[in-house]
Amino acid sequence: MSTIRLNWGPQHPITGHLRFILDIDGDIVVRATPDIGYTHRGIEKLAENRNYVQIIPLVERICNVDSFNVSLGYVSAVEDILGIEPPIRARFIRVIMAELNRIMSHLYWLAIFGVAAGLFTLIMWPIADRELFIDLAEMVTGSRVTYTYFTPGGVYTDLPEEFSERTLKTLDYFEKRLKDYETIFLHNKLYQMRTVDVGILSFNDALKFGVAGPSLRGSGAKIDVRQDEPYAAYDAVEFEVPVEASGDSYARAKIRFSEMKQSVSIVRQALKQLPSGPIRVKMPSVVLEGEAYTRVESGRGELGCYLVSNGRTQPERLKLSTPSFRNVSALAYMLRGVKVADVPIIYHSMDIWPLDADR
Amino acid sequence: MSFEAEAMIIKEIEARFHGAVIEAKVQRKRRIAIEAGKEWMRDIAKYLKERFDFAIVVSVSAIDLVQERQFAIVYHLWSPSHRNLTALRTKVPKDSARAISLTPLFESANWHEREAHELYGIEFDGHPDLGRLLLPEDWNGGFPFRKDFKLAE
Repeated sequence: MSTIRLNWGPQHPITGHLRFILDIDGDIVVRATPDIGYTHRGIEKLAENRNYVQIIPLVERICNVDSFNVSLGYVSAVEDILGIEPPIRARFIRVIMAELNRIMSHLYWLAIFGVAAGLFTLIMWPIADRELFIDLAEMVTGSRVTYTYFTPGGVYTDLPEEFSERTLKTLDYFEKRLKDYETIFLHNKLYQMRTVDVGILSFNDALKFGVAGPSLRGSGAKIDVRQDEPYAAYDAVEFEVPVEASGDSYARAKIRFSEMKQSVSIVRQALKQLPSGPIRVKMPSVVLEGEAYTRVESGRGELGCYLVSNGRTQPERLKLSTPSFRNVSALAYMLRGVKVADVPIIYHSMDIWPLDADR
Repeated sequence: MSFEAEAMIIKEIEARFHGAVIEAKVQRKRRIAIEAGKEWMRDIAKYLKERFDFAIVVSVSAIDLVQERQFAIVYHLWSPSHRNLTALRTKVPKDSARAISLTPLFESANWHEREAHELYGIEFDGHPDLGRLLLPEDWNGGFPFRKDFKLAE
């Protein structure tokens, strides 16, 4: 058997810079070796030279399409070490912004999935709809990509008065659009032909490789940090954790669609219940010694933030365990034996964000 | 607040691995920290996995302890059924930084250990492949996450 070695990337049609070294026999992948690190910026090391507040904009850059969720993980770790708890209103605001960001992140995934599958309309629509959510984020934070809005002890500013009304209007519109997406794409025969039974990841393998997030739940595991250990105000809202048993690329797509519906419902509930009161407690001026490990469910899955403080103004160690890092390691196994033409589909069905994997 | 579930795990580990556990404590709800000698890491991890369903290594962090001239290696293990995150920690001296790999036990530890190897220069005995992961192939600038590696101004 003679195989050919093919470099898939670091420039390839899907998101970001990451290379797979594919050994192929005809059009079958015999071996896939992921090569990450093209966007390794050493963010964890940089954090050791910054104070706790300066790190917030830094960590957001590990996943710029999901920065509310990333910074939520970090500021919660700081809060754990300081022993402070954000006020109830801030916790609800955090849920709202985190879920809006999940929708944005999934919409981006949906758009790029269009690139992977060669469905060009699918690129344009979700990107345009995502703009509406970016507008909402801009309205609250003044920024469109990385927000630096969550701070240890709460949130930076209160929601503007017209936020609630405009968000509800956006959600109403988005819900209709989501139905269109389902009819046109998810239920589309062509879409299904490219994804059903493609890139199957079994329940046992998903756990074995430590796969996280929607990709894990697409293999039948009901693991979601929001439900396993509710943070912010997730214990005050009702939602389902969608799970699919088949473990193929289509299952992972369905999960993300269901999650967007759940996010819409969560935001509506949180807006309805939104308590009044202060948005921030004061951060103590002395940093305590200690360590904390916080987990949040970001758009791509569980994000762990391990923060060690030795009492100085800069942390001793910040380690971010990111979902893309965990998921891309599983791809080496998943791509074995698949057709070369399916590589982009499977790769993107895992929603890999190389910035997030490299840090 | 009482931490019965957490205390139960600690009690059992301490009883089973008497003498091997250096420190075991409840940090907060659903968070346990266990420190042990490096030769015991695989046994304790195996027990945690089989007895309490700690199935996934979610993170492996090395910490450069400058004053102690040691590296701490912290494995964070998640148990889906007990909903508990345990930090299993050991220390290795800096001048002979060798630890026992947990990858044969947990495939999910594979890349995390590779990362600690490449950024801190810690060897993991029994790891299947400690090749380059994040750094460029032609990198020869040392171990960038050690504290003595200074960032350019």
